[in-house]
Amino acid sequence: MFMIAKRVAATAAALSLAAGAASLSLAAGAAMANPYEPYKGTTLVVNFPAHPHYHAVMKVLPEFTKETGIKVEVDLLQYLKMREKQTLELTKRKGDYDLIAYVVFSKADYVYADQLENLARFFMNPKLADPKYDPDDLITGYVENIGVVGGKKGYLPGPLDSVYGIPFGSETSVFGYRKDIFEKHGLKVPETYDELLDLVCKIPELEPGMGGLASRAASGHQASHAFLLHLAPLGGRVFDDNWNPTINNAAGVAAAKALKKIVDCGPEGAKTFAFAEAGNAFLQGKTAMFLDTTVFASSVEDPKKSKIVGKVGWALHPKGVRRGSQTGGFGIAIPKNAQNKEAAFLLMQWLTSRHGDKLVALAGGNPSRYSTHADADVNAKYPYMKTFGEALKYADPDWRPIIPVWGKINADLGTTLSKVLTEGLDPQEALDGVAARTKAIMEEAGYYTWQ
Amino acid sequence: MTSAGMKRMTPYMFLAPAAAIMAVGLLYPIGYMVYASFLDWNPSQLISEAEGVGLRNYASLLGDASFLESTAVTLKFSTIVVVTEMVVGVGLALLLDRNIRGVSVLRTIFILPMMIAPIVVGLMWRYMYHPSVGIFNQTLKGWGLEPVPWLSDADWALASIIIADIWQWTPFIFILALAALQSLPRSALEAARIDGASGWQQIVHIKLPLMMPVLVVTGLLRLIDSFKVLEVILVMTNGGPGLSTEILSLRIARTASEFRELGVAAAMSNYLLLILLALTVIMFVYNKVVDAREAAVRQAAEEA
Repeated sequence: MFMIAKRVAATAAALSLAAGAASLSLAAGAAMANPYEPYKGTTLVVNFPAHPHYHAVMKVLPEFTKETGIKVEVDLLQYLKMREKQTLELTKRKGDYDLIAYVVFSKADYVYADQLENLARFFMNPKLADPKYDPDDLITGYVENIGVVGGKKGYLPGPLDSVYGIPFGSETSVFGYRKDIFEKHGLKVPETYDELLDLVCKIPELEPGMGGLASRAASGHQASHAFLLHLAPLGGRVFDDNWNPTINNAAGVAAAKALKKIVDCGPEGAKTFAFAEAGNAFLQGKTAMFLDTTVFASSVEDPKKSKIVGKVGWALHPKGVRRGSQTGGFGIAIPKNAQNKEAAFLLMQWLTSRHGDKLVALAGGNPSRYSTHADADVNAKYPYMKTFGEALKYADPDWRPIIPVWGKINADLGTTLSKVLTEGLDPQEALDGVAARTKAIMEEAGYYTWQ
Repeated sequence: MTSAGMKRMTPYMFLAPAAAIMAVGLLYPIGYMVYASFLDWNPSQLISEAEGVGLRNYASLLGDASFLESTAVTLKFSTIVVVTEMVVGVGLALLLDRNIRGVSVLRTIFILPMMIAPIVVGLMWRYMYHPSVGIFNQTLKGWGLEPVPWLSDADWALASIIIADIWQWTPFIFILALAALQSLPRSALEAARIDGASGWQQIVHIKLPLMMPVLVVTGLLRLIDSFKVLEVILVMTNGGPGLSTEILSLRIARTASEFRELGVAAAMSNYLLLILLALTVIMFVYNKVVDAREAAVRQAAEEA
């Protein structure tokens, strides 16, 4: 209610402004082309997650308003709560949101329910599309993971795919380590999983009271995420090309054992860590290593949160039988029921342009463009950006499936793995159970109709 | 209409507004839930687009190991919590039912936990249970004891949420039991004292039996509430580790929001409703039986 009231007021203000602007532009004539002119005074309502990248975006939004005259009102939500709220919003006839940031696994749901705009419509419109946008510069793995649907397996690119979102606040996994600890004991930065797993339990011996690697492990999504992080590099996949679960093969078991070893040699209480707690353990100096999203890097160098400023080195996600770092995070899209779609597109284009991407990166966000990762100004402020750019070459868009039933499989996988971590359930037995239940879920959802 | 007919209609006319409100406010949502439980309904669809699946949701739940585990956890949690709270709450009420100085201050302090928002209770306990900085483990370490894996071990986690719930809801029992105690007929107690009954005898033979109707209702309310507890556990463990603290209401919430199966979630809610209904009916019948027996005893006494 409150929001609607605010919107009405904003619209009224916008109308009067627009009227004023129209008379002004008549007087000035069309001397300077300004593609933003028709939308000046519009107020966009956008839904963003409370997340480091979007905190940086908030700092940059006033710049957008200054350049374009389009105002932005942000509804900030906890990222795991966004899907629920958005699902409600998107099924309304007239939505409140003009632009949404969505968690990557919502892509399947929203597109399947026909709730997002196909972006081709806007990129084909010469009045809206900026010819200098340079989509080739957007990071391929991210675009494939977050923006594209309709190709291979439905959620990957292919000849018949189309784009519904643009990666924004996307992330991959990198390995962070305490340079001081590694130097003190003459340790080598691990390049392979064998070396990593060797170090994981060695560090608590060398540095009593310190855990090896900070990892998520809490029951549900968190444990599942941590497991999948190891699955791809160790050569596993959740499904084969015919949607048969392969999560319980040798690679799957190896990934579960790796996770168990990491958690067992982790800091105190590691078994229930969610992302925030795992990150905090590293920031507070309770572990020597970190392996998770790039988003975290800006917190490490923030003296308000971190006790390890300047002590952390970054490297690529270690290699198993292949390199494969996660892809994830957020994309932005325009809901079908949005009321200011053109202006929303302009905001989306501006934010993900070379200019916008750089501004957000400088404010502490995660760039989605190759050029930003290589940018001298950005690297001067965040020296790790070059390593991250390198890591992106191995970003794996298929490290976890993005299908509507994934939520259920993910929860089952996460709770079962939690039993492996806390109750000593045998990894093979656990994953066999997950595979069998997954098969039933897939059967019910109709994935074997054509077999 | 004849005046006789009018007269006959009058009571129904007076009842009509209440009946209408009841239909709209109570039966409509429940009917909606029952209807939804027969659908394969995804939150991205309108309810009219959802496909009917008959009893499939109910049938598949009965074979769903996670759902059965959740039910078992809920039953275990509720039983332990309600029994302990009843014992402690009534005990405290018996102890504090006297005129000592400052007793009203004490009573107010006792009911504080109940007044705190559940999310805050959850957060508070989560920090107290924190493995390294929590007060419990700090204290244990200070005494030279081994720290306890409060929330990271399956059995401990269930114990931990039980402790938190007892802390929060014992005051509810306490305050109702105290009210019941204070409204007991003084004559019966005086008569007992004159006959030389000890304090313990007064409690067992007079106070508790007289309080019983209130205690039964209190216990029932607490039981129903404990089946529906959500926020505190959500914040403290989110159901983990494994499924060890995933009570039914949490499972329902996850089914609706995480698995996006509104039909299944509705079917689960209906199972929960059935369990609660069964408990209520049992209590009701028990009360009737007790009343009937008392009436029979009284009648026998009068006849004799």
